[in-house]
Amino acid sequence: MTTTEVLRKKSRQRKITIQVLLVIISIIAIWGAVSSAQVNLAALGITNGFGFLDRSTGWDYSFSLVERSINDPYSKTLVIGFQNTIFVGFISIFFATIFGFIIGTGRDSSHPGVKAAATVFVQTFRNIPLILQGVFLYSVLIHFPGPRQSMSFADSVFLSNRGLMLPGLNVSPSVAVALILAIASVAVLLVWRKVPLLRGLIIWIAAAISMSVIVAFVMRPEGEPLLSIPSLKGLRFNGGITVSIELVAMITAITLYGSAYIAEVVRGGLKQVPRGLIEAGQAVGLTQGQIWHRIKMPMSLRSIIPPLGNQWIFIMKATTIGIAIGFSDMFYIVSNSITQSGQTLELIFLLMAAFLTVNFSISIFTNWLNNRLKLKAH
Amino acid sequence: MAHTQKLSPNRFHAYMASFSKRAFGTPSAAVLSIVIFGALGYWTWLAVDWAIFRAVWSAENVAHCTEEAGACWSVIDARHRLILFGLYPYEEHWRSTFACLSIIATVIISCFPATWTAKRLTSLWVAGFAAYYLLMEGSLLGLAQVTTDGWGGLSLTLFLFASVVLLGMPMGLGLALMRRSEMPVVRSFAVIVIDTIRSLPLLTTLFTAAVVVPILLPSWLEGDKIWRVIIAFSLFFGCYQAEVFRGGFQAIPKGQFEAGKALGIGYWKIMARIILPQVFRHALPSTINMVVVTFKETAIVIIIGFFDVLASAKAAFGTGEWAPHYMEVYVFVGAIYWTFIFSLGQYGEYLKGRMALSTH
Amino acid sequence: MKKNTTLAIAVGLAGAALAPTASFAQSATVQQIMDRGTMLCSGHNGSYFGFVEVNDKNEWKGLDIDLCRAMTTAILGDPDKAQIVPLSWAQRFPALQSGDVDIIIKATGWTMGRDTELGLQFSLPYFFGGTQFMVHGDLGISDSSGLEGGTVCVEAGTTIERISANYLQTAGVEHTMVSYESAAELRAAYLANRCDAFAGWGPSLAVLRATELDNPDAHVILNDQLSSEPIAAAMRQGDEGFVDMANWTIAALLIAEEEGVTSANVEEMAATPPNPKVARLLGVEPGMGERLGIRDTWAREMIAAVGNFGEIYDRNLGSESPYNLERGLNNLWSHGGVLYAPILD
Repeated sequence: MTTTEVLRKKSRQRKITIQVLLVIISIIAIWGAVSSAQVNLAALGITNGFGFLDRSTGWDYSFSLVERSINDPYSKTLVIGFQNTIFVGFISIFFATIFGFIIGTGRDSSHPGVKAAATVFVQTFRNIPLILQGVFLYSVLIHFPGPRQSMSFADSVFLSNRGLMLPGLNVSPSVAVALILAIASVAVLLVWRKVPLLRGLIIWIAAAISMSVIVAFVMRPEGEPLLSIPSLKGLRFNGGITVSIELVAMITAITLYGSAYIAEVVRGGLKQVPRGLIEAGQAVGLTQGQIWHRIKMPMSLRSIIPPLGNQWIFIMKATTIGIAIGFSDMFYIVSNSITQSGQTLELIFLLMAAFLTVNFSISIFTNWLNNRLKLKAH
Repeated sequence: MAHTQKLSPNRFHAYMASFSKRAFGTPSAAVLSIVIFGALGYWTWLAVDWAIFRAVWSAENVAHCTEEAGACWSVIDARHRLILFGLYPYEEHWRSTFACLSIIATVIISCFPATWTAKRLTSLWVAGFAAYYLLMEGSLLGLAQVTTDGWGGLSLTLFLFASVVLLGMPMGLGLALMRRSEMPVVRSFAVIVIDTIRSLPLLTTLFTAAVVVPILLPSWLEGDKIWRVIIAFSLFFGCYQAEVFRGGFQAIPKGQFEAGKALGIGYWKIMARIILPQVFRHALPSTINMVVVTFKETAIVIIIGFFDVLASAKAAFGTGEWAPHYMEVYVFVGAIYWTFIFSLGQYGEYLKGRMALSTH
Repeated sequence: MKKNTTLAIAVGLAGAALAPTASFAQSATVQQIMDRGTMLCSGHNGSYFGFVEVNDKNEWKGLDIDLCRAMTTAILGDPDKAQIVPLSWAQRFPALQSGDVDIIIKATGWTMGRDTELGLQFSLPYFFGGTQFMVHGDLGISDSSGLEGGTVCVEAGTTIERISANYLQTAGVEHTMVSYESAAELRAAYLANRCDAFAGWGPSLAVLRATELDNPDAHVILNDQLSSEPIAAAMRQGDEGFVDMANWTIAALLIAEEEGVTSANVEEMAATPPNPKVARLLGVEPGMGERLGIRDTWAREMIAAVGNFGEIYDRNLGSESPYNLERGLNNLWSHGGVLYAPILD
């Protein structure tokens, strides 16, 4: 054997030893954690297992999309928490992405006023912790006038410290959810068919409006109008859609913060578009808007999508600030369930599993989107 | 070095000319300019008017707060010690002050390129941290002992920040090296840890450390809640920083490592002498960004029951007397965060620009 | 501290040898507290007026804090060895289970769920109070049926949360419930009129109304009595000795009040005990400490440091406090209340 062979063999042996050691240490750590959990839980007299999921909770919370009651079992309550997180997350992602693209484009604008406004926006909302913005905004919102003195717009939209009351389609919640899903799948379909951005957007909005009108027409209760308008009755508003003030605060805070970050992502992407291409566009007489949507956007989307996906995951995770302002997101529900039931390990496991599932799904989706949007030439 | 050049009169005129062309060149641009600058100016005036011209400044004049429509800074005058130092013993607040200053000084000094060697930065941060810890904890040099339960306010926020950066940096480096390892088990271990932590909300990780870990550990291993949380926070920092380092590694040609190996230099020596200094340089702007993010994220610890600057701010207006002035307190705390985060962030941008210039 | 520990063990062992029938409370938690030299009690993330508050000098005070200081004096001989760990309501049980605190004395109600599923055990109740609703006066309602369609705010993770949800459901009052992590947040939300009603614990609502609100008459506490909760100290299961310690701390404070022993006259009483019960309480006659595994004079030191139960009440909630709450149920049984101590034999 030559010296190099000996050395190589030695190094291979060392590598195997290190890996085996790592595996053994991990196993010991996991085993130690499990056994000391058993000892600790037994000493505290806590029963483990998922049996508690069938017990009714006995407590109420601020928000759910479906009917809730204090007799609900923990399983249903946790599912509602998960729904709330997904709901707030998706709505915030939706708005933050739109505003982010607008403001990011503004940051890239040659017009000094637009640029200044976009910069002020980004530097304000990006440089203050989200939770501080959330509690601050919530404090401001709950100091708005009460329901009886609420601000009204055209007598159909009301804003008070209880929430935002909007006119809604006169359909049951489950029909509304189905409608939203259908509208969302149209968007996915349009991206999948690689319809150009601007045209796709127009098609999508038209489809959304017409679908809503048809559904409302067919599914509304006998003899009632298409829209249900909120009206004050006693201590609260009846009819329409009530968006609780906690939800308003959550969505606004996360959207502002998220759009400041997305704006920076978009600006970074737009910066990468070669100047020559833009000048070429100007030379053939394209307008600013045409340059944006025919040259800048398609060119920069490739570098925008991956960091954009990270921002979406970030927004999903940011929903955990709900607990600071009394919004019943997944984290809030888990934290309260732990206090009320004592099943710490099981509940933390469910919480982590929920977030890992959602966030891995988002990264899979972004990868798919990225592949879809790649220029055909590549 | 375009940044450091002063605008000469000619350049200034040229800039102004270009500015007015872009802002007022066409009728629609002019209208847009007037609307935007008008709105920005109006809001700035409202803010300044509220915060300065019509404000009440001292705690004695709190009675005027009801008549004046401006800011009531009396609440800050009366409660700033609570916001800055939390529940730290009143007579010992000077210690807290110096402790905070030592952390701030550490951060500022690390911004000078002269300190950018691994050895200097490490010793600077360890020294700054040690100074902080000695001042706050006491029990040496005739200072009365104050345990971590008594720490609070801005000084607790700075403590969390400094210890997370200090502990998280080596964790990040370790994870980045593991992720680049040729050994599949080591590599996948790092990938699992990094991807899991990055997919979980920070709050979940910290909550787990605070509430769940004690159940999983035998009692002799538990330690204080604050240290459990700091270690979990450092792990979070480490997982993100590992990705930053990974970017730095990718910028270095693989040939360098192989050349070192061909010369018979050992793995650790190649890393320490050749690769890592370059990795650090490449990763510097993103590292500063990560440090900024960490400072911002410390605010979340209020939810797991720490008396950080946000919690003490809430306590500051938590009495009947001060309850109406929540706005002033939030603005004050927001301004503290904003100043720190904005200036560090701008510094990172400047550095990025400078490095982009120097590599081209 | 080590010396004390060894001494305590030695005394314990000697006692066991002399009197084999006596059972000694050798508590692991007491042992830990002695080794550590401090006792870890629950605080609050903010102020819970009258019970756990932070004053302008950033010091903790309140009825619950004083009970913690009393128990710390009993075990360690110095009230300042009590260390208050700030905790939210929702965090208190996890913190106890994880050992971040030794005991929870934080307006905590004794419930079956906590006693069994959460693995806790409770001391003697030291306070009785029920859940009630406070509402804005301009609503013009006097009982909970007027809350139809309204918003009720409550603190997350408390018994109040469950009791009020259950009560309103039984009464068939449709409502929205919003729960907050801290008292400060809840108070801010109520004051801002985010909530029509503030579901809280009667005494703390009264304290809030009397002192913290600008105009007490603008707020009404509704007639509905949702519950009467026994408030007790909570500890981890499996350390009976520590429960004995907590029970006898509370008992000694009550007995002292019953016998007229105050912080002012405790030394005098110890010098010339008026009766054998007082003599035993103050450690003039042996038996008081030995049976708990600590010093015989613990109760004397404790009363000298924090006073008897009546003094603690008056200082934090009663006549000497800004809240001026009646003792009511929380008086000694001999004065029309429901507080009584077990027998000191």
